[in-house]
Amino acid sequence: MDLKTLLQERDFLFLDGATGTLIQKSGVAYEHNPETLNMTHPDLITSFHRAYIDAGSDLVYANTFGANSYKLEGCGYPTDAIIKAALQNAKAAAAGTDALVALDVGPIGQLLEPAGALSFEEAYDLFAEEMDAAEEADVIVIETMTDLYEAKAAVLAAREHAPGKPILVTMTFESNGRTFAGVSAEAAALTLSGLGVSALGVNCSLGPKDLEPVIERMSRYTDLPLIFKPNAGLPDPNSSEYDIGPEDFAEAVRSIAPHGLKLVGGCCGTTPEYIACLKRALADVTYTPQTKDEGPVVCSASTVVRINGPRIIGERINPTGKKLFKKALQENDIDYILNQALSQVEAGAEILDVNVGLPEIDEQAMMVKVLKAIQGVCDAPLQIDSTKPDVLEAALRAYNGRPIVNSVNGEEKSLSTVLPLVKKYGATVVGLTLDENGIPKTAEERFQIAKRIVERAEALGIPREDVFIDCLTLTVSAEQAACKETLEGLHRVKTELGCKTALGVSNISFGLPYRELVNSTFLTMALEEGLDLPIINPNVASMTGAVRAFRVLRGIDENSLDYIEAYQNYTPPISGGAAPAGAASGGAAPAAGNRAGSANTAGASPLQNAVLKGLKTEGANATKTMLETKDPLSIVNEELIPALDKVGADFEAGKIFLPQLIQSANAAQECFTVIKEEIARTGSGSVSKGKVILATVKGDIHDIGKNIVKVLLDNYGYTVIDLGRDVDPRVIVETALKEDIEAVGLSALMTTTLSSMEETIALLRKEPALQNADGSSKVNVMVGGAVVTPDYAERIGADFYCRDAKATVDACKSVFKN
Amino acid sequence: MITPGPLDHAEAVRYLGDARVEMNDAMEQLLADCEEQVLSVAEPKFLYKVLDLPCEKLMAGEDIAMHLEGCTKAVLFCATLGTGIDRMLRVEQVKDMSRAVVLDALASVAIEQVCRQFDTFLADKFPDLFQTFRFSPGYGDYPIDLQKVFLTELDAPKKIGLTTNDNFLLIPTKSVTAITGLSETEPPKRRRGCASCNLRGSCNYRQRGDHCGS
Repeated sequence: MDLKTLLQERDFLFLDGATGTLIQKSGVAYEHNPETLNMTHPDLITSFHRAYIDAGSDLVYANTFGANSYKLEGCGYPTDAIIKAALQNAKAAAAGTDALVALDVGPIGQLLEPAGALSFEEAYDLFAEEMDAAEEADVIVIETMTDLYEAKAAVLAAREHAPGKPILVTMTFESNGRTFAGVSAEAAALTLSGLGVSALGVNCSLGPKDLEPVIERMSRYTDLPLIFKPNAGLPDPNSSEYDIGPEDFAEAVRSIAPHGLKLVGGCCGTTPEYIACLKRALADVTYTPQTKDEGPVVCSASTVVRINGPRIIGERINPTGKKLFKKALQENDIDYILNQALSQVEAGAEILDVNVGLPEIDEQAMMVKVLKAIQGVCDAPLQIDSTKPDVLEAALRAYNGRPIVNSVNGEEKSLSTVLPLVKKYGATVVGLTLDENGIPKTAEERFQIAKRIVERAEALGIPREDVFIDCLTLTVSAEQAACKETLEGLHRVKTELGCKTALGVSNISFGLPYRELVNSTFLTMALEEGLDLPIINPNVASMTGAVRAFRVLRGIDENSLDYIEAYQNYTPPISGGAAPAGAASGGAAPAAGNRAGSANTAGASPLQNAVLKGLKTEGANATKTMLETKDPLSIVNEELIPALDKVGADFEAGKIFLPQLIQSANAAQECFTVIKEEIARTGSGSVSKGKVILATVKGDIHDIGKNIVKVLLDNYGYTVIDLGRDVDPRVIVETALKEDIEAVGLSALMTTTLSSMEETIALLRKEPALQNADGSSKVNVMVGGAVVTPDYAERIGADFYCRDAKATVDACKSVFKN
Repeated sequence: MITPGPLDHAEAVRYLGDARVEMNDAMEQLLADCEEQVLSVAEPKFLYKVLDLPCEKLMAGEDIAMHLEGCTKAVLFCATLGTGIDRMLRVEQVKDMSRAVVLDALASVAIEQVCRQFDTFLADKFPDLFQTFRFSPGYGDYPIDLQKVFLTELDAPKKIGLTTNDNFLLIPTKSVTAITGLSETEPPKRRRGCASCNLRGSCNYRQRGDHCGS
């Protein structure tokens, strides 16, 4: 019988208990990895499986938990040989019984990006190798996962390298319902359900009673059968004995079964006796499927957002019409984009739209890079915004959670390419009511397209609730009657199709003065017609405010709790005119640590004063004022740089603290932003003092020092190309070639990674295109980091040893002679 | 359960390399705010295992042999503040680098204080035995690649989510592995000092006539 049939026919499916516990009890010795026992002691391993089958297990896990090439390195056997042997051992135990055999896939043993250095793609390859050897397996089990991203890599590898085999996934949670990596039980259930697994649940970490709240939380976010494989309680640190016996274990599982448990077994500390008890305890119990909560849900790995009322989607991560954003994309300035993400969330966005489409960049590579970077710092679920199926697919793979795809439309080409991706990756999708003939004029025509999109989605198995229809906003100053059609279409979609709705709002006011007033009024009208997902600029207080107030007035925000939290410190703007962005919390308090009065500021201009004192807003305002009378370049050279030099000198003299140096740099950055905007507006040349690559070398992940250097260089007017951490020497050389670079800064924190620094410099020196006619090197290399010494810097051929960020600025000044 | 306790601000300032700067109110306030944030985000976890000596798989080089000389037992130990701290540091580096450097320094203080709490815990647990100081892979000639052996021995990836990368850097970054010797007789006084440190040639603290730790 196969797993599917078993799941249909039986009330419960019995899994096995721990293999590790039996290995330990047997006293058998092994080198390196317990998986090598599959080769050295096949009969013993088979006898363990057999003991579980005799005790009543319907499915046994082969002894392959750590059988990946990372963990098995140096064990003396190839990975596929161990896996095949393990499966044969399990098959031998199952021979003559109905028991099924699973390939057991555990974590790789290295943390994935962003916490660790292993990339999602590398993890996928390691798992794919395991799946390729799994021909004999009836089922693929992925267990003890603490990182949803790693679990996703394993599931995709299973689907693509062991096609057709049912996949079971269990993750390991702490008692607070989160994993070590911060993954929430809800997000795990939601994301894994979308990826097409057969069942999901929890294993390891705690005993059954302690895991009950966790499985209960999962049960509200999936209708798949649930897996429950707890430990036999907690181990005694001295004896390593677990504290829950077989009878108590079985009784506890029995009491938890009504949460939707279907596949039950044990993890650490459990033995065949536990499984036998479990089987007896559940003999007279009927399977009770859980009831999932209603309504569509999206999530990141840590945060779920249920669309049960208007939810704000932030629209700012999009280069359309934004010069600075375009520039950031062209210059690979990911921090700029991350700032956009964090400030929108702070202003009230609950989901962020991510669009990085620019004709001259590789949209697919940039989308993946940006998604990964945002996931590393931001908990809000994301909306992947592209019209290109290849970009969407790459993004859907790289996303950690359940996203919204923005978008599909009524064109046949779009329907037939986008919807299958939405289905495969278990996403939700925005459906635009346009087709081959463009945007129809009437609400009726748009409604018909919406209906077509929903029908096509449902035919593929995408539930209607996961399609969010966008009836499209047209510019009211151009087509005044169109506004009514949009709102009517929205209303009909909501009431007649029963779909959630999305709408980009800001287009409405193009060409009109005081756009904000038109936008917020239109937003309120749309909300009243049933808009669920307004796509807006959350930094505009009146827009976010309209949504928050609507939630109160429509009784969605119970007891006005969210509203009060957002506005309890609200103070109205002083004079007339629009409220400043981000005024929700009553204006930011001065940054902690500002040191008004501590620096000697006599005779300095207001701009210099602001920089010396580390005051951002004052710096920006003073720059604006000064731009009325002075040209941008003079401001940089006569005001900003001297102020920064003064702060740098104070720092070197031990008069100010490092964070205070950085605050001054940040204030200077605000001044620079104003100046850059002015230059972008007038097109009056560049203020860049030179282009510098910064990178933390291959193997090293400690990059805070490099990041401090970046802040300082940025604010001295250098253009920094930040390649990040753990950077391959080749990437540095290629970037130097592409960008025609004269200065490269490298950092390393650990003695173990110094060799990467040496290797990088050697590669830079070897590259013929980076040499002058006389054979000297075009590239000046600056090195720094805790373990780097002046002697070492010289020995590996660096041009500058930089003991701190200030010294790096000095090195750049000397390179670029400015 | 071990908590780091109130964080030593002076130590954090030393980690920042700013020990000679005169303290001011703004910096005090920043340290206090950041301390609160570190303590609320940190999820300290530790593991230990008492091994009888000699234990071949832990021996490599001369320094560890000298360190454990006369000891009958050794305690393998690891601790971490968890991935939340790393995430917080990533976020703050984007939002406000001046705050990030202070948080980073205080997080280093926090993991060291967790280790010291463990030393006390150990002293309570083995009141009749003398304790050496904590010795870690990477000290002296003790190879850093033993990180992997330590973590495997303690089952740290599975039990507290502590791992290494290919270069044996610990992830999460605010983490420690160490070995402490237990002896029935008082071990010869050997300070954990600059003499056995690989960085003695380049150390910024030493150049200033200072030293790390306390």
